[in-house]
Amino acid sequence: MSQITIQAEDISIRFKDRLLFHIPHLKFGPQEAIYLTGGNGVGKTTLLKILSGLQSPTTGTVNLQNQSWFARLFKSNGKNGVIYMHQTPYMFDGSVLDNVCYGLKFALKGRQEQRSEAITALRMVGLETLANEHISVLSGGERQRVAMARAWVLKPSVLLMDESSASMDKESIERQVVLAKDLLERGSTLVITSHQQNALTALCRRQWCISNSKLIERADLQLIKKDKDNYAFG
Amino acid sequence: MNIWQTTQDAVQLLFSGDMALWGIVGVSFSVSLLAITLVLVPALVIAFALAYGKFPGRWLILSLFNTCQSIPTVVIGLLLYMTLSRAGPLGDWQMLFTQKAMILGQMMVCFPILVSMMHAAFQNSDRRAWETALTLGASLPRALLSLMWECRFPLLAAVIAAFSRIITEVGCSMMVGGNILNSTRNIPTAIALESSKGAFAQGVALGMVLLILALGLNFLLSIARGKAHLRTN
Ligand SMILES: Nc1ncnc2c1ncn2[C@@H]1O[C@H](COP(=O)(O)OP(=O)(O)OP(=O)(O)O)[C@@H](O)[C@H]1O
Ligand SMILES: [Mg+2]
Repeated sequence: MSQITIQAEDISIRFKDRLLFHIPHLKFGPQEAIYLTGGNGVGKTTLLKILSGLQSPTTGTVNLQNQSWFARLFKSNGKNGVIYMHQTPYMFDGSVLDNVCYGLKFALKGRQEQRSEAITALRMVGLETLANEHISVLSGGERQRVAMARAWVLKPSVLLMDESSASMDKESIERQVVLAKDLLERGSTLVITSHQQNALTALCRRQWCISNSKLIERADLQLIKKDKDNYAFG
Repeated sequence: MNIWQTTQDAVQLLFSGDMALWGIVGVSFSVSLLAITLVLVPALVIAFALAYGKFPGRWLILSLFNTCQSIPTVVIGLLLYMTLSRAGPLGDWQMLFTQKAMILGQMMVCFPILVSMMHAAFQNSDRRAWETALTLGASLPRALLSLMWECRFPLLAAVIAAFSRIITEVGCSMMVGGNILNSTRNIPTAIALESSKGAFAQGVALGMVLLILALGLNFLLSIARGKAHLRTN
């Protein structure tokens, strides 16, 4: 699969006069998992949206292929793109299966093929029995699982997970970790935001922290040490 | 005037296969359907841009469209009449008193309604739907289609409102069409003319057709939009 190194130069974002953050240089590459932290409202969601090309920064650039306005007018992206998972996922009106198939429609030709991949993904998150239910009957955690399956089937090169384990129980997180690990092995990059440390954030070997409008990279050793401390005292 | 007698005559007229009557119905529907089809896509795109775009003057444009909705159709007819008449700027087109002129007039009548109601639909939609579609790889037109599917109920309500407005509209059709039999006489202008002559049966019959076809159209649309589920998130 194709591997992408994302490189951002001099990105800053401001709303009216308030500077949310300024990041002079940012680079991350294949097979990396990054844990992004920071308090409420520091701009984690905004940063992820910028990195996925959904939002444009006030200044600066991100190197994203096939995200140009003009290209998207005619061409669907298919597999191996950059996927942003919303903090509260949006489900399209339809069945669970329809939702998982959504991105596959642009990537795979055959109906049957799409269906079988989608069912596999649903089995991975343990929701295959709900495949034909309408999404309005799902619980919050189940929706997050569907969102994960929907992203995973596309085997994205970069997956930006915004609080994607927020309302999940332990078992769901375990399943999510399996999918995340699978993507990492395929050469994807993950960026994970979370306010709690859990099995998913434990995958990460790099940590970014946004505070005071700056992005600080913490050394991975520090993270592990902090982990240990947490377990020791907690 | 005996209402019961008139209704009976009207029903009889409907079932007797009166060519003049069905000709009028045909003109009405072909003109209005063509008019709304021609403006549907531009109205959709503009409504979407007004809701999702970020450009200065958005609110001004929107208020203009909202204001245009309340212009009486006769006034639109009058403006079009002046433009298309011999001495007018587009007099060379020789379009006055043709179906083309009626179509143009009805397009002008329903365009602002469509834009403003579809804008309301998009404005009420969830931005995440658009973003999710794009991030999962949809091209811009495909993402727009998905978004349209998500708000199909208010969008179809907009189409129905606009279509009802132009199929029942008298003023503009009368001004620029001229109510010529077999050419520009449509249901509303025929009703106006016949009743002014004191012949009510045809008017009532045409009214019934309008009602039945409106009913049929709405049934068709409710089948097309599929099952309805309330959002729980
Ligand atoms: N379009 C906008 N206009 C004005 N302010 C905005 C806009 N979008 C975001 N903000 C502001 O930017 C700040 C950062 O928002 P963001 O959603 O990125 O925070 P976050 O780090 O994800 O927080 P949380 O941990 O609560 O999810 C917020 O204070 C928000 O009010
Ligand atoms: Mg957030």
